[in-house]
Amino acid sequence: MIKKFWRRLAIFQRAEFLSAGDLLQRAGAISGLFLLAHLAGLREFTGILNGTVGSLALGWNLSAYLAVIYIALYLAFVIVVPVLILAAIILTVWRRCIRKENNFCVTSDTNFRRTDANI
Amino acid sequence: MKSRIARILAGLAALVVAAIIWLPCLHLLFARPLSEFRQDQGLSPKARQLAARHLQLWTEPVLREQELKKMRASNAEWDFMGRSYLVWSLANMSLRDPASKPLYLRTMDQIIDETLRLEKQEGMYFFLMSYAKDRHYLVQPAHSLFLDGEIALMLAVRRVVEEKPEYKPLLTERVNAIVERFQKSPRMLLESYPDECWMFDHCVALDAIKMADYLDGGDHSALIRDWIAMAKQKLVHRESGLLISSFTTDGIPLDGPEGSTIWMVAHSLQLLDEDFARDQYQRARKELGEITLGFGYAHEWPKSWKGEADVDSGPIIPGFEISAGSSGMAFIGASTFDDGKFLASLAATLDFAGFPSRTRGRLKYCASNQVGDAALLYAATLGPLWQKVKTGARQ
Repeated sequence: MIKKFWRRLAIFQRAEFLSAGDLLQRAGAISGLFLLAHLAGLREFTGILNGTVGSLALGWNLSAYLAVIYIALYLAFVIVVPVLILAAIILTVWRRCIRKENNFCVTSDTNFRRTDANI
Repeated sequence: MKSRIARILAGLAALVVAAIIWLPCLHLLFARPLSEFRQDQGLSPKARQLAARHLQLWTEPVLREQELKKMRASNAEWDFMGRSYLVWSLANMSLRDPASKPLYLRTMDQIIDETLRLEKQEGMYFFLMSYAKDRHYLVQPAHSLFLDGEIALMLAVRRVVEEKPEYKPLLTERVNAIVERFQKSPRMLLESYPDECWMFDHCVALDAIKMADYLDGGDHSALIRDWIAMAKQKLVHRESGLLISSFTTDGIPLDGPEGSTIWMVAHSLQLLDEDFARDQYQRARKELGEITLGFGYAHEWPKSWKGEADVDSGPIIPGFEISAGSSGMAFIGASTFDDGKFLASLAATLDFAGFPSRTRGRLKYCASNQVGDAALLYAATLGPLWQKVKTGARQ
């Protein structure tokens, strides 16, 4: 029952690969992961960029690992997410234009046939 | 199948177009008016926030202990340099914001006194990297120009802001000792580490001597002139025209020109030889400074010199060859020579990749550390102190 409910929500339905929906889902997933990393306080570990250990208690290796995760998610959030959203917008606008063009062609074709029949 | 391929191609094309639109715009998210970082008069908002964080460190010993431990785990020098940059910043801030001068002076005194106590109690090696103990200093008794120069400049700037009689003999003693060693050295090159001399430390020490002259009426202009003439002749990298970073007491180059050194050297030289300082800044800007897609950064080495990443350069980001150390110090160079375009683009990079963290009006950069933030604070506040000494203005 609960599964059916979630499945009905469009956001959890897997969209077709590289469709506008797919791009938005990926943007959402990256944003969610970044938010989690941010709230977990991983930003503090980025001191590794200047050679300072993020936490003496956790040590160099774990601090570096957490820093790399945070930096990768941050870069994905500020660079990849906007690109994904923009691409989704471009695709949507493009599809609408194509649909309108097709509708225009179909309408023109029908009108032409009617005119032809009248003659 | 055809429609699937068409959809994927359309998706890829949309991604490419979106990237072409977004990447040149990315810096706009982080670009701020330059006045947010540095102002001609008074203190910029960022300077206030950075200073608030540093003042907190000096009022909360536990917090300071944590911060210093993290830095000392990598480099004991950073503990010392964080103190120096903060004292030099607070001196400039006292001249920019006279209403807060008593607080700034109190903090400067606290830092200077604690630093002198540690030097006396633990010995000079406390603030040096461990390899200082691997060999003997050539000149005995051992002295490090790194420590003597920066401590002398701390004492001097404190006295320039407001005289403190207890510091006068301390400054005189340290400056006289440096001058004596310069006079005894055949090539006017003094050790910071055993048979290892640094351009950075020589320029800072000469600034301290110049400032002591301003304060106490001495005249070491001949020494300063001779040293600069020697450096121009013997310590310049031929291909780039930049001063080299480190050398032996015989003047044999160890490191070539480095961004982590040259930006501060150009700043220090401004007090000693304005034209030479500007020449060095312009060369560094051309050889090391970059602005890509609105983001400013700096390389550690010019193309004509190959070096290895070390504790000064910080990790080098491949591809763009960005050095965290050089980019941080580039703020000081750009701020000294009023290079607004470069400084604004560096500030955009700092907000993009420095991971700022604000708590109750206090700012720190998580990708930096206490010494890095103190150097940034210095870049945001420098000016009035040099101006006062250069013009010979009295209190």
